[in-house]
Formats: sequence, C-alpha cells, structure tokens
Amino acid sequence: MTMPLTVFSALVLGALAITTAAPLLLLALLIRDWKRKQLW
Amino acid sequence: MNSVNSAILDASTGWAILAGFSLLWVALGWYWGRNAGQLDEYVLAGRRVGLALGTATAMATWVTSNTTMAAPQLAFQIGVWGMLGYSLGSIGLLLFAPLATRIRSLMPNGYTSGDFVRIRYGNTAWRVFLAISLFYSLGWLVSMGMAGGILIHALTGIPYHYGMTVILAICVGYTLLGGFRAVIGTDFIQALLILVGLVVIAFLAIGKVGFSSIHSAVLAERPELLNLLMPAAIMFLFNNLLFGIGEVFHSNVWWSRAFSFREGVGFKAYTLAGLLWAPIPIVAGFVALAVPALNINIPAADMVGPMVAADLLGVTGAVLVLIMVFAALSSSLDSLLAATSILIVEDIYRRHFKPHASAEQMRRAAARIIVGLGVLTWILCAPRLTTLAELLYFTGAFVASTIWPIAAGLFWRRTNPAAAVAGMVLGSAAGLYSYFAIGFYVAALVGAAVSMVCVLLGTWLAPRAFDWAQLREDHPLHMDTQS
Repeated sequence: MTMPLTVFSALVLGALAITTAAPLLLLALLIRDWKRKQLW
Repeated sequence: MNSVNSAILDASTGWAILAGFSLLWVALGWYWGRNAGQLDEYVLAGRRVGLALGTATAMATWVTSNTTMAAPQLAFQIGVWGMLGYSLGSIGLLLFAPLATRIRSLMPNGYTSGDFVRIRYGNTAWRVFLAISLFYSLGWLVSMGMAGGILIHALTGIPYHYGMTVILAICVGYTLLGGFRAVIGTDFIQALLILVGLVVIAFLAIGKVGFSSIHSAVLAERPELLNLLMPAAIMFLFNNLLFGIGEVFHSNVWWSRAFSFREGVGFKAYTLAGLLWAPIPIVAGFVALAVPALNINIPAADMVGPMVAADLLGVTGAVLVLIMVFAALSSSLDSLLAATSILIVEDIYRRHFKPHASAEQMRRAAARIIVGLGVLTWILCAPRLTTLAELLYFTGAFVASTIWPIAAGLFWRRTNPAAAVAGMVLGSAAGLYSYFAIGFYVAALVGAAVSMVCVLLGTWLAPRAFDWAQLREDHPLHMDTQS
C-alpha cells in the first residue's frame, strides 16, 4: 500500500505550516512575558 | 564520493561562521550568568522561567541530532514511517506536561529526577536509575558531539575532530559561564534559528524539485519508502514513541526544567513545545526523500540531511544549514551538560561523598563537572565508532524501562518499590537482548513492555503505601541557598 501523492503533499504542507507559525508564536509569547515581567 | 571534495563551503567560511556564533553564545552566556552566584540561580535559573522561554527551551532541546541528522537518515532508510515515527517523539513532551505540574507540586524544592527516585523507591532503585540515566546522558552527549563533527565536515570540509572539538568546547564554555540561565536564553535564539532554517530549506526543496517529482522518483527508485505497510517501519514507529516517552520521563534534562519553570508554566510549556516540535521531523525527513529526484550519491546514511541541503541550496543555503545545525546541536548539548552536572553533583557528589557540602561548594562542583563531561564526551567521540541512529537506539532499551516506574511512582501511591527496581533491571535486559537478537527498532518496545508487566504485577501482588509529603521535605541545599 503506497502513500498517494495528495496525502504525502498534505502531510508535508501541514507540518510546514506549523513550523512556519512556530517562531512567530514564540516571539509573541516572549513579548507578552516581557511586558508582564515574567521572562525568568 | 568524498565529503571533503563535495563540501560546498570552503573551510575558511566554515571557521568564520563557527567563530562568530561561538563568540555570540559565549558572550550571552557570560551576560546572562553574571548574577548567577547562588546555586538555585546557576542550576535552575532561580525557578522563575516564564512560558516563552520555557516552551522554546523544551522545544529546542528536543530538536537534536534526531531532527538534523537521524530523522533524514531514517526517512532515507525506512521512508515515511521514519518521518512519522520521529514525529511521535513529541508524545513524550506532551505526556510530560501533566508530570511537570505534578513534579513541581510534589517537590517544590527538588533538584533532580534522582531526588524523586531515591525518596520514592529507596536506595537500590535510585542507584539502578542513576546508572541508566547517566548512561543515557552520555550516549546522548556522544551522539551530538559526533553529529557536530560529521555535519561540519560534510558542509565545510573541516576535519571531523576539529568540528567536534569546537562544538563541545563552545557549549562547555557558555554553560560554564552562565549556568542554566545561559542554557535557556540561548535556547530561545537557537529555536528561532532552527525553525527559520528548516522552513527556508523545505520551501526551497518544494520550489526547486516539487512534490510530484519527489514522490514519483521515490516511487520509481525506492518504492518501499512510501509503503504504508512496511512491518519494520511500523515497529519503529511504536518503538520510537516509547523511546521518546522513556527519554523525557526519566531524564534530568526535563525534570530540571520542571523545577525551573514558574508555577503554572510547566503544563503549558511542555504541551506547546510538543505541538510545535511534532512537525519538525516530518519536514526534515521530507528533505531526505528528495534524494532519488536529485540523483545524489549518499556516501553514508547519516550524511543524507546535509548532502541534500548542500545539493539543493548552494553556498548561501549551506551557510544557513551550518547555522541551523550548530544551533540544534548546541541547544541540546548545553541542556545535557547543565542537567547532567547537577544530577552528578546532587546524587553522586553530595549524596555519596559530601553530605554536608555547602551551596557554594555544590556550585563549584557543578562547574567542574560541566568541564569534565565535556572532556569525557570528546574522548568517546574521537574514535567515531558507530552511526548516530545505532548509538541513540542502543540507549532506548534502558530508558524505556523507566517509563512505568516514573509514571506510576508520581501518580500511584501504592506502587511497589521492588517492582520498580525489577521493571528497570528486567526491562533493560530484555530490551538489550531484543536490540541484538531482532533489531534497534524493537529495543524500547520490549523494554517498556517488560517493565510495565513488572510494575503492574508487582504492585498488584504486593502494594506498598507511600506518603506523598515525604517528597516535600525542604532540601538542605535549597535552605542553604536561601539563607
């Protein structure tokens, strides 16, 4: 049973979307923690 | 094909990049560590780490040679299940989220995972646990030291021993200067570098080759890599799941973070880190599946990641890959150096040899042990005896046997200590046997299964009550630090 092209593409694109959003989310959290004086 | 001849960065460019980032990490380590005079500040960043830094350090630490080297290697060897199997490593972080909350509430003044096992199960279990944990830590350190040497060599032609030495020396340097605060601060920057680098490489791979070409070339030349019913690969998937859980549940790398996070942060930080980490091995593995379409000659399986990136991206891309890889390896090496040093200081130096050591003595010992671990890792990395995946999965037999003793010990009051010892010893032995008799992809699976039977059966036959309040005892070191 072979993984079809559409499933393969969807899997990689989904993973890529989350990986692209991750640094933005981390930066947003950093700014929020910094404003609350809760960095460390 | 010789990787020195195929390196697309010249050695002088490689040295310049390594020198630039080395200076940056060391300077940041010094800056963040300049006020870390007290033990709690040096080894646990004052126990006040917030959500952003907490999430980034958990994620960056878990992005190791796994994702930069072994995930592409396994995708190249066992296909899509290799990518998905690695991705399941995130389950370890996700399942540790409730454990982090539990650990923080049961042991507000704790320092190590060894503290927990000693108080919860007694000295025999503690020593067995320490042997497993230290062996695993050393295996992880060596796998990353080797990864540093291999990657730097593949990308720049700088000899393996020079690259490996540089990465170890730099990580030892800034961890020594700044302690846990330096580890967490640099982890945040390293997390961003890793994520951005990976996204750029993947988008360029898609733009240059395309899904259709990659898929059809794999189908034509190595169809087994897209086979969803490849038995060994499915075994690998479950094995990796349990290996990841075992690694996270027992290792002081994750426990020390649970102790260092601000109250209420642990659960959120580990959950978010798990969710953000899960897609990374899929993206990294996807890059390796471009090999048939690109018609690249791969000289060794553990070089597939950098070889594909180098072929795809040219000089600028190779610079990016080198920075990303340096960040990935540093973020894990520094964490391991810091967490293993406090494990050795607390559980071996103080508990076995210097019971009345002061906080200042402990802090100095932690610094010396960071240097000692760096030297030992260098000695073990020098011969380059095995491939990365083999080394990593050899430790799987041991760590998976700790899953049940740790989880049951944290949540199940009646867990039998002797059953926990049996679970770790017999689970490790069975996992090790299966590693040699069957293959690397079943060691953790067998180790966890045998350990589970021991813990459940032993506790069912002879339950032993435990008073959770024992874990809340004020730690003498903590009191000394506060005074």
